[in-house]
Amino acid sequence: MDTVELARLQFALTAGAHFLFVALTLGLATLVAVIQTRATFGGNPVHQGMTRFWGQLYIINYAMGIVTGLVMEFQLGLSWSGLTEFAGNAFGSALALETMVAFFVEATFLGLWIFGWNKLNRWAHLALIWVVTLTAYASAFWIMVSNGFLQNPVGYRLDGGVLHLADFGAMVANPAALVAFAHILSGAMVVGGFFMAGVSAYHLSKRTSEQDFFRKSLRLGLGVAAPALMVTATFGGMGFGTMQVTKLAAWSGDLAAAQAEMVARHGPGDWLPPVGWVQAGGTWMMGLFALMLFVAAPSTLLMLFRPVVRGLRVWHWLLVAMIPVPFATMLAGWIFREMGRQPWAVYGLLTTSEAMSPVSAGQMRFSVIAFTSVFAVLVLINYWLLARAAKAGPAAVALGDRPIDAPQPVLTF
Amino acid sequence: MEIFVLAFFALGYLVLAGADIGVGMVLPYLGRTPGERRETIAAIAPFFLGNEVWLVVTAGVLAGLFPALEAELLHENYPLVVVLLLAWVIRDMGLWLRGRVPGRGWQAVWDGAIVAGSWGLALCWGALLSVVALGIQGPLLALPALALAALFGTHGLAFAALRLRGVLRERAAVLSGGAGELRTFALTAVALAAVGVLAGVRLEPVAGTSGALLVPVTLVMIPLLVAAQAWVWWTFRHRVTGPSYL
Repeated sequence: MDTVELARLQFALTAGAHFLFVALTLGLATLVAVIQTRATFGGNPVHQGMTRFWGQLYIINYAMGIVTGLVMEFQLGLSWSGLTEFAGNAFGSALALETMVAFFVEATFLGLWIFGWNKLNRWAHLALIWVVTLTAYASAFWIMVSNGFLQNPVGYRLDGGVLHLADFGAMVANPAALVAFAHILSGAMVVGGFFMAGVSAYHLSKRTSEQDFFRKSLRLGLGVAAPALMVTATFGGMGFGTMQVTKLAAWSGDLAAAQAEMVARHGPGDWLPPVGWVQAGGTWMMGLFALMLFVAAPSTLLMLFRPVVRGLRVWHWLLVAMIPVPFATMLAGWIFREMGRQPWAVYGLLTTSEAMSPVSAGQMRFSVIAFTSVFAVLVLINYWLLARAAKAGPAAVALGDRPIDAPQPVLTF
Repeated sequence: MEIFVLAFFALGYLVLAGADIGVGMVLPYLGRTPGERRETIAAIAPFFLGNEVWLVVTAGVLAGLFPALEAELLHENYPLVVVLLLAWVIRDMGLWLRGRVPGRGWQAVWDGAIVAGSWGLALCWGALLSVVALGIQGPLLALPALALAALFGTHGLAFAALRLRGVLRERAAVLSGGAGELRTFALTAVALAAVGVLAGVRLEPVAGTSGALLVPVTLVMIPLLVAAQAWVWWTFRHRVTGPSYL
């Protein structure tokens, strides 16, 4: 592999790992915020327990999202300095706004939410999770504005060989950003909903004692996932209207016209994305969507019958088996979107090889190996931990189990 | 104006996150039993997430306001920045994971990650700041890097002396002796900020063209961001009395 391929692999693996965790973060944060709202207004102990149980899974997942996100942010300057130098004055604003108006507040308040449990006023504590959730959405929004600019650059002016921001409103209103943001946000609700339903189904199939707890959770999970699937598909369909001609050509297999158009505009060269990747990404995304729909639609009916929710084990196992499916769909969707942008870093303006930093092959190999091995280990440990905490159930939750500064209570049997 | 925005977040990071990195460096010295160690970590637990976001914003400010500098600074110091990021990841995962599974072995592994990651962070920052401020390269870089790492460690001890009680507090005061705890912390904070200023002056950052949009937004946001952080500082203003979630 040459250095550009290695840099692409490094970014793809980091971004892919990041998104696995971010998608669940966005979905679970919303669900936890909804549950905590009910717990705070109603005072039902089951809802309070649900807030802590799902909240702890959310936090275990969140940590991995942060560390992969940090590496992703710095990779823009590390391996893609050509992109930063060429387009930083334009799309860098969206990245700056993401950190300042979204992530800073999200992380600060999340720390307060975790460590201020049973210490802060309960209404303030509820407000915190909502701020954390809304700033997580804002974070996703600004990232999609940046990504949308790379997919479909608008609102810029080319001056002195580099891009400058000319029309901030146009950059924010970019349809390639807005439609994708809605698609991804509703997709994250699908991820969170299926996760909650699957984990609940596991406990229901094991006949653990928290029947009420997991029946409510399962209904909430499916109740969010099923409509979110329809919203996701709607925006996904709209997304085809915002797509580059070359991506559409690769998807449909009708390549000649798009290649001829690009040659006329940019001169001789291969201006088409890797067709196999684009078609595989798109096909898997849509196929897995259909699978999720076939499961979610009857499930929203089954969940209305209490004996079924309590006893239909085949259905429980199916829901457990469905947990990874929305994650795989997300990754397939990203492969479709990002592979379909190739060979461009900024579509029509800067190629991926031009975007590359002048770093040596040895340096790039070192960082690919180092990041990949560290993240591979951490991802496995985090998923093991997530599964362990999910299986252990509500009794074993450490989050919010005592006033944070009080001594640990002695266990008595 | 752009330069003040960059300096505000970069210096904020050095002073605030410098404290939790420093506590991580001296963790085996401060916390000698599992209980003491958990209490030492509780000194930084509510803060480290809110501290490291200052660096995330610094990188965001670089990307938005100083794109040419961001590119130059990061890819010219490629191996150093990669190791810094790895150390950051490992330190953070140590903090997040150590308390999630009971058992000495598990906790020893992640405590090791916290200590190694904190040292890695301090040494990489020491090296990176020295490269920028002094223009040194090669093996000689180890000297200022070690000196700056020692400053991070001292800053951590000063912060721990403010947050801990009893024997932990006494251990944390080993270097400051009879000097006031707050005064010691102020001194190490100023020293770290001074190193940051020195590096910034040598860097001579040239701003890009997005300032007209980003600077006003930043000036509106800064009071809100500081207020959010002040809420955290106020909530956890008392000394640690027991273990935290970590």
